[in-house]
Amino acid sequence: MANNNGVGSSKQDNSSLVLHTNLECKNLYEYLKTQPQIVLERLYNHPAICLAVYRELPELARQYVIRILFVEQPVPQAVVASWGSQAFSKDHHYVTKILTELNVWIEDSLPGGLIGWMLSATFKRNLKSALLGGGKPWNMSSALEPDKNARDANFLDSYSSERWECVLHYMVGSQQQEGISADAVRILLHAGLMKRDEEDGSPVITRQGFQFLLLDRHAQVWHFLLQYLDTVQQRGLDLVECLTFLFQLSFSTLGKDYSTEGMSPGLLIFLQHLREFGLVYQRKRKAGRFYPTRLALNITSSHNKNIPVLEEDSPKGYIIVETNYRVYAYTDSNLQVALIALFTELMYRFPNLVVGVITRDSIRQALRGGITADQIIGYLKQHAHHQMLSGAIAVKNPLPPTVVDQIKLWELERNRLIYHEGVLYSQFLSQADFNVLKEYAQSNGVLIWCNKEKRTLVIQKNAHDDVKKFWKKYSKGS
Amino acid sequence: MAPPKRPGSKSEKASKRRKKEEEEAAWRLEDDESTTEGEEASVPNAASRDAEKNDDKAQEDEFGAKDYRSQMILKPDNESRPLWVAPNGHIFLESFSPVYKHAHDFLIAISEPVSRPEHIHEYKLTAYSLYAAVSVGLQTGDIVEYLKRLSKTSVPEGIIEFIKLCTLSYGKVKLVLKHNKYFIESPHPEILQKLLKDPVIQECRLRRNIEGETEQDILTTQIQDKKAGLAFGTNAPGSSNEKSDDATVPDDITNFYEKMDNEEEEEDLNLQTVSFEVNQEKIEVIQKRCIELEYPLLAEYDFRNDTINPDINIDLRPSAVLRPYQEKSLRKMFGNGRARSGVIVLPCGAGKSLVGVTACCTVRKRALILCNSGVSVEQWKQQFKMWSTADDSMICRFTSEAKDKPMGCSILVTTYSMITHTQKRSWEAEQTMKWLQDQEWGIMVLDEVHTIPAKMFRRVLTIVQSHCKLGLTATLLREDDKIADLNFLIGPKLYEANWLELQKKGFIARVQCAEVWCPMTPEFYREYLLCKTSKKLLLYVMNPSKFMATQYLIRYHERRGDKTIVFSDNVFALKHYAIKMNKPYIYGPTSQSERIQILQNFKFNPKVNTIFVSKVADTSFDLPEANVLVQISSHGGSRRQEAQRLGRILRAKKGAIAEEYNAFFYTLVSQDTMEMNYSRKRQRFLVNQGYSYKVITKLAGMENEPELLYKTREEQGQLLQQVHYYLDFLRKYISFFFVGVGS
Repeated sequence: MANNNGVGSSKQDNSSLVLHTNLECKNLYEYLKTQPQIVLERLYNHPAICLAVYRELPELARQYVIRILFVEQPVPQAVVASWGSQAFSKDHHYVTKILTELNVWIEDSLPGGLIGWMLSATFKRNLKSALLGGGKPWNMSSALEPDKNARDANFLDSYSSERWECVLHYMVGSQQQEGISADAVRILLHAGLMKRDEEDGSPVITRQGFQFLLLDRHAQVWHFLLQYLDTVQQRGLDLVECLTFLFQLSFSTLGKDYSTEGMSPGLLIFLQHLREFGLVYQRKRKAGRFYPTRLALNITSSHNKNIPVLEEDSPKGYIIVETNYRVYAYTDSNLQVALIALFTELMYRFPNLVVGVITRDSIRQALRGGITADQIIGYLKQHAHHQMLSGAIAVKNPLPPTVVDQIKLWELERNRLIYHEGVLYSQFLSQADFNVLKEYAQSNGVLIWCNKEKRTLVIQKNAHDDVKKFWKKYSKGS
Repeated sequence: MAPPKRPGSKSEKASKRRKKEEEEAAWRLEDDESTTEGEEASVPNAASRDAEKNDDKAQEDEFGAKDYRSQMILKPDNESRPLWVAPNGHIFLESFSPVYKHAHDFLIAISEPVSRPEHIHEYKLTAYSLYAAVSVGLQTGDIVEYLKRLSKTSVPEGIIEFIKLCTLSYGKVKLVLKHNKYFIESPHPEILQKLLKDPVIQECRLRRNIEGETEQDILTTQIQDKKAGLAFGTNAPGSSNEKSDDATVPDDITNFYEKMDNEEEEEDLNLQTVSFEVNQEKIEVIQKRCIELEYPLLAEYDFRNDTINPDINIDLRPSAVLRPYQEKSLRKMFGNGRARSGVIVLPCGAGKSLVGVTACCTVRKRALILCNSGVSVEQWKQQFKMWSTADDSMICRFTSEAKDKPMGCSILVTTYSMITHTQKRSWEAEQTMKWLQDQEWGIMVLDEVHTIPAKMFRRVLTIVQSHCKLGLTATLLREDDKIADLNFLIGPKLYEANWLELQKKGFIARVQCAEVWCPMTPEFYREYLLCKTSKKLLLYVMNPSKFMATQYLIRYHERRGDKTIVFSDNVFALKHYAIKMNKPYIYGPTSQSERIQILQNFKFNPKVNTIFVSKVADTSFDLPEANVLVQISSHGGSRRQEAQRLGRILRAKKGAIAEEYNAFFYTLVSQDTMEMNYSRKRQRFLVNQGYSYKVITKLAGMENEPELLYKTREEQGQLLQQVHYYLDFLRKYISFFFVGVGS
């Protein structure tokens, strides 16, 4: 489902009346547009943020911005609209909306009464300096003497994934890992990824949590951070400051160390949190320097296809699903095993292989936990072993079709109730009255249910008026 | 922070598992077919050894899996090795490994295949499979060594121990008939010494010149001269072993494989064996005693040196071409120039009869063929005439309907029930039986060997004396797990083919299996929920949606020009469906001649494209034309029946290579009834062979099909009434009916 945090990510089937809240995965745009103007204005004070926002804009919006970047007066809206052909007016409206919502440009009236667009002054200034250089140096200076304990990219990668997996491990409840801090748990709880058990108050994973686990790593980090930012103010930290730092971090270089000098106490606390999740590495709390890890790089970018990503993000497929519902996973990672255990019954564990089987029970347990059949199938597909991918058809659908069908059928069999909206008619004075109304409803095909003994009827809601009218006429006549 | 609680606690899982076991036990009860308890098969103690028990010490990890990580060490070059060996005897094999071919041949020799789908195959080491391995000449040391080399990890100690225990005493001693004398033979003198110390065996021993010789001297030592290698008719083209490209195969595996391969072939070339002669009358005693002593005797028949029994003049026709797997299986049987007794497992339609005929032509002694119905007796005769030079005068049928003159014939084809019949026979049959009992048969071929209960089988063995026994079956599988007894009654499993592989090579049909879900109509479902279990069956079989689906499928495939068989175990349903749709049907009471007539029509008459059959047609009805099978009612959760039925349409189809599938197997199940569970259970065997069942929840095009019966509510109501009427009838005359319905 929502494994890329694109616009309009979660498409929900609204046909059933039973709605489940699914994990919502916002992208940068969706996040920023929820922020009040003042915050945005303050954010745009930093070139890094302006650049990040600019990069995340749709292509057409970027065109508009760059065209009017150096225009010092409002550009009439009709002029902007005329830049594109009529056929794409839909796109035009879409991007104007985005640019307005993000406060990138503002409406301004031209002399003569025409309404035009004008880039927000702060945004304009800082985007210019981001694109052209100049201005103050960005906060994160790297004027440091060489670190005698310098860390290379490989080390940082393994460090960051280890830290991040700690969080995930905690969520799936595997026992052998070290725990995570109370703060992190609070974020998980706040994000609705876990909830307190009703009996003993210990955190247990929620359906959103399961869905979270099946996202790719990049999306996980971004989602988690958004949830973190939500709680930033309660911690007494400054949201804008944190966001700014985050954006700066996302433009930093892997394998380079940066100084903590000049960072406010609040920011230092924030840094420690980032350290816990593996977004930055610090040898010691007071080391005076930190290394950003790959998790932090390009964090704001949703178009992460071209950038080098973590090993786990472009994993070598490791899962084989057989037509006899067996699942073989080539892995020794506890986390991967834990994830597979969410929807399979595991049987054997070898040093580099896990053997399990998909059963009706195991799938139903996952479904009860809030995972959808599509998510399971998607996960299996995404991580299919390269042996499953041989053959032309197999590349698109590496899983045995019967297994896929069966998982879907198992999901379907849980939703076999059909809901009809209806109106209850009861307390008839006589059996005859009841019969008359029943006959009428039946002959019109609007009767949903009736009980002769209790003299109750349920009639389709849309037929209610009609039946009521009939009833009035009938009772008047008799 | 303390780790949070996991969803689905362990105790819940455990109770679920227990529940599953109970369920399975219930299945077994239901499936128990005709074998009565109490008749303990004489099976050596070691055979009851079970590697599963080694698992007790394996710990469960936090996800409920058996954690073997502490018991084995991953080899650094694990990627080029294909196996994982679990301490409980289960072995997992990567089918995509470059060493697959080596490993597969080896595993099939030492273990039982559990499942063989596309990518990863599962095998299991059992006492029986190891018994079979040693009996075809593999040595304990080699088994262990090769297993170690193939494995990605170190092999658990327990498994090595298990292999040693199971192979220690098995396959070491052979019972050989040569020059018309019975010998106990072994390459291990110390074992013979040990056996000879046993008083019972001493009793059976035949001493021809006792004076002055010590025991040691009496053991005849000889060096076997062996003419290795037998040729079976013409080999199919392309059966020669191609060298696989061994680029990534570790050297130790290839070298060892070649060494073992050669050893197997030349095994006996210079083998020194010792032997002593035994009294022919005491053969049975000594066989039993040896089993008790844990040295089960392998029966081998040195048919070339048998001069007492006359050779029969029969050869394979030049047109008889053996497929590679048929030849492989026969090689296992005649591997050392003698005939071993055992079972060969090939899918239905893969040419079991040709294997049987070839075996008879190789032994060239009087042959007895046992099968389980009159129809298949006829079919066997046809097969002999087709593949071999035998003519009518040489082949004698012995059934209740056809009694050819047996005297002087060289091949006798009959049924199990004919032989084991205990009631009075006609004078003629009596004479034949007498003659049959007096003969010393060279080879006995047991068709569909899985169907006969051990008790009946033992009767056959006491009546017929034969030097070697060949069991043939497609499904070495019994719901009551009594299949193991066959190992000791006939011999070990010599070969088992891989269904998926045969299918890929086009030796058997490519079958699309489908499970069609038929929703119960509201009236039938209400009735179903209210009535007693015993009546539920009829309701879900007679479900009008099912009837319509059947009708639709039949019409659909008739239009395509397919030949369809419809199976129903329930006789009421069978007749009702067939009569309503105006199709011929065969069930228990149908006479032999009528059966043959219907089958002939089905084969040759273009107007008869669909027949209805009851479970009498489950096995050995050879219907090469049929390519569509519709199953509307079946015997509970019997995996074997499912496989056997699939076998009816497995014979390779000519042409139509372009299509992905050339045969169709539909099982119709009424939704939300017990049938769904049965169906899942039934499919297990085939699913493990690599078949997959497509679930069809809605037949496309059915709603537009004109004139389907039971489409309207009124008709459905009438049908329900008929069912009611029948059920009432059953209740009232239940005592009468118990006889009739069972057929």
